Amino acid sequence: MTKSLKKYFLVFTGPTLIAFLIAFIVPFFMGLYLSLTKFTTLTNAKWVGFDNYQTALTGNTGFVKALGFTAVVSAISILTVNLGAFALAYLLTRKLRGTNLFRSVFFMPNLIGGIVLGYTWQVMLNAILRHWGQTIVNDWRLGMAGLILLINWQLMGYMMIIYIAGLQNVPPELIEAAQIDGAGKWETLRNVTIPMVMPSITICLFLTLANTFKMYDQNLALTNGAPLKQTQMAALNIVDLMYKQVGKQGIAQAQAVIFFIIVSVIAVLQLRATRAKEVDA
Amino acid sequence: MRSSKPARRKQTVGQNLLTAFLAVLTLIWIVPLLFILINSFKGKFFISDSPFSLPTGETFAGLTNYITGLQLSGFARALGWSLFITVGSVAVIVLLTAMTAYYITRVKTWWTSLIYYLFAFSMIAPFQLVMFPTVKIADMLGLATPWGMIILYLGFGGGLSVFLFAGFIKSVPLEIEEAAYMDGCSPLQSYFRVVMPLLKPTAVTVAVLNAMWVWNDFLLPNLVIGQDERYKTIPIVIQMLVGSNGNRDMGAQMAMLVLAIIPIVVFYAFGQKYIVEGVAAGAVKG
Amino acid sequence: MRPITRRSMLGGSAAVALAATLAACSNGSGSNSGSGDSGTGSVYFLNFKPEAEEAFKTIASTYTEKTGVEVKVVTAASGTYEQTLQTEVAKSNPPTIFNINGPVGLATWQDYALDLSDVDFVKDLTDPSMALTDDAGTVYGSPLATEGYGLIYNGEILDKYFAMDGAKATSIDEIKSFDKLKEVVEDMQSKKGDLGIDGVFASTSLSPGEDWRWQTHLSNYPVYYEFKDKGVTDTPDLELTYSDNYQQIFDLYLNNSTVEPSALSSKTVSDSMAEFALGKAAFVQNGNWAWSQISEVDGNVVKEDQIHFMPIYIGVDGEDKSGIALGTENYLSVNSQAPEADQQASIDFLNWLFMDAEAAKLLTDNSVVSAAPYSAFAELAPADPLGAEVVEYLNNDELYPINWVFQTYPSQDFKDQVGQHLAQYAAGNESWDDVKKYFVEEWKAEKSA
Repeated sequence: MTKSLKKYFLVFTGPTLIAFLIAFIVPFFMGLYLSLTKFTTLTNAKWVGFDNYQTALTGNTGFVKALGFTAVVSAISILTVNLGAFALAYLLTRKLRGTNLFRSVFFMPNLIGGIVLGYTWQVMLNAILRHWGQTIVNDWRLGMAGLILLINWQLMGYMMIIYIAGLQNVPPELIEAAQIDGAGKWETLRNVTIPMVMPSITICLFLTLANTFKMYDQNLALTNGAPLKQTQMAALNIVDLMYKQVGKQGIAQAQAVIFFIIVSVIAVLQLRATRAKEVDA
Repeated sequence: MRSSKPARRKQTVGQNLLTAFLAVLTLIWIVPLLFILINSFKGKFFISDSPFSLPTGETFAGLTNYITGLQLSGFARALGWSLFITVGSVAVIVLLTAMTAYYITRVKTWWTSLIYYLFAFSMIAPFQLVMFPTVKIADMLGLATPWGMIILYLGFGGGLSVFLFAGFIKSVPLEIEEAAYMDGCSPLQSYFRVVMPLLKPTAVTVAVLNAMWVWNDFLLPNLVIGQDERYKTIPIVIQMLVGSNGNRDMGAQMAMLVLAIIPIVVFYAFGQKYIVEGVAAGAVKG
Repeated sequence: MRPITRRSMLGGSAAVALAATLAACSNGSGSNSGSGDSGTGSVYFLNFKPEAEEAFKTIASTYTEKTGVEVKVVTAASGTYEQTLQTEVAKSNPPTIFNINGPVGLATWQDYALDLSDVDFVKDLTDPSMALTDDAGTVYGSPLATEGYGLIYNGEILDKYFAMDGAKATSIDEIKSFDKLKEVVEDMQSKKGDLGIDGVFASTSLSPGEDWRWQTHLSNYPVYYEFKDKGVTDTPDLELTYSDNYQQIFDLYLNNSTVEPSALSSKTVSDSMAEFALGKAAFVQNGNWAWSQISEVDGNVVKEDQIHFMPIYIGVDGEDKSGIALGTENYLSVNSQAPEADQQASIDFLNWLFMDAEAAKLLTDNSVVSAAPYSAFAELAPADPLGAEVVEYLNNDELYPINWVFQTYPSQDFKDQVGQHLAQYAAGNESWDDVKKYFVEEWKAEKSA
């Protein structure tokens, strides 16, 4: 079968690949080139070789520190978002009353996006913290907690949708068979359901990884890195360097490349690990 | 197989507790959204002073925020373009990326695997890395129009969508396609007649996720078509309500957010129905 | 430049609608001629003040009617000006006129800024030193407006205080020094209940991105006096010799505010303007653009004839002769990489904009500027009370103005971090020495890089 399909390469993948080439692949290589130059705009770039990379890693741009903070926030968020989302999805495929309403509400944060939402959270959290005479930017731990809260609120419903789709693809016969064999709920979940939804887990882990590491809007709106850049994540660090300092666009671009490589390595490891556990249907 | 069960059965105590727990959780979840709704009716002076209080007396601004927002921003035209770009992009993305994902999942070679990873990488790359070049290329190729935005979104959204479809196509049993081949179907025929219907639940998920993203996206349309008076989209119009010197009309912004949410809620409600239906269809097949 | 008021926006909505229709028509036909490059040239003005967008469009269509030259006005959304400029100049139809914010902006945009030394409107500057030049004195930018900031006060509240028994002053004219200001402010704060206010000063907004009034405008004072002592306009080694003065005025704001100092890092500029507009505070430090942010909004209790400027006093000898802070940070430059015909069209447009009486009137009537340093603006009366006071201070020869030297600050990032140190100081997490240390060391580090 695959042999006859193979000839249809252009029909099946052509349009997507062309758009992908235009919107991503070509710009990506141009972006790599820019990281080796000093530039203000695309048209006045001057070659400087690997100087930008050296400055990015050793200079005082705060990049390494921002990477560390990003890693901590992401690690915690990936864990909490996925556990929460899976739990919600599991409960919401139990045919409980009000399931549809619950699903819709949990997904709702994704309906609105952007910076205004972040500012809304800032106002809200500050109003709550006022009772303790605090604000979200007085202490970096509060800022970090706020960020993680916001990420969970936004992403949990998103991932829940994907987990639900995965759970619904699990043939009910399998579960019934396991239960007939005397397996308890917990054992069924661990030995039947989870292996069957492994593709969803792969996807969700990867998506939360990509989304939290790259996070920018929420970081900008909620803390903007305050206090003293202690809550500055990598993307914000790159953008700030690009627009708020003079003549450092090239360095910022180099940081973006380094950041990309690091996250790619983590993502590939994750994809390999979880895909290996997937059972082919 | 569960059709013998009555539509509404009695819940056990445990299930009631779970329902109650979820109800509380949804209430918490909805607070920020209610917050936006409540404050969209307040005067801009009163929002951050007591953000949780209901608009009363002097703080109640009626529909002023909605009117201010609508008058200043050319909201109607922005709504039109946002709808056009979102619907167009979602349709194109769902149709084309599903085919791409099908191909690279079923044809297993080193280069389909490479394509898969390239798509995955495109989701990781920070937007800043490709921002200037993408805008420049769009300008050079004449893609700085709402039509062009659809192509750009296919390119950018391709990663996520191919990734999602690929994940689910794996769980579609090969036997069904093989049966179609036996019956003499070409790959295209068997894809459209056999595989695509099975992808419906995933397609709805992909459509919903992409619709949210395209509808709310600010930076890309702002840089590519935002400078053209004719083509502003809703997020751009909302951002235009922020002035310089800290002159931010939060009230009008929240009102615009509420208006911007309405079409997407309608769309989502519609999609929800299809998710349920699509899943039911899948269950029958199983 | 002052943001347009809502009154002029709504009142003129018919005119704007008409102008928009005209602009839409000319856009349609113009886009053909634009790409054709047919010798006459056209103007593309990238504006960065969203409030001024409608006004600039009206002005542009007036110019197009008179001359037939197409003027396209595009406004970058708030917070995206730099990104927009960087992507737009690389496009096939780049902006021909754009804004830069001073020497720091010029350092970034040097490659794209046309030499304007011999251009008519630059020669028409009433004060040639207002032009933006490089070290060699070549002009690359010219100001759009002269703006001012100081302490804005609500005359009604102060009059109420002056009439009280035991008031530390009987008129605003008696407040001519930091010590007197402090005495009055602290006394007012202790009587805030009787005065019906929550605090003397509207809250010192220290939320990230909302702190420019302190990290830029207020810090301009110590830096200005240091430059003055040293007789320089910029220095790689700032000592912050007036650090104590900076601290004492900042402390005065913090301790006599509407809210506790630790809550200030949750406050925005809008909050602070709202407190002032609602009559909960007597003073707010801000510029002439503030009037449009508070007037014509439901709930505003500040009367047009009761809003005034007074100078900020920080405790420097001879400051009784100082006025408000005057300057500009909004320079217009012409894109040197644009086609020559477009460059010329842009210069012609700017000549008209700043030298023609009708254009100047359009700029002030639409509240785009209160005052601009060109002769055509000399006789024009600004449309709002704070703008009128800026003009008064400009023409006052007895008081010396505090120049806007913050243009020389090393970068936006530097200013933002000063702001965050101020917030940490206000919250009690840092000492003033930490603020000073960052200011001095980072200044040196970035200036020498």
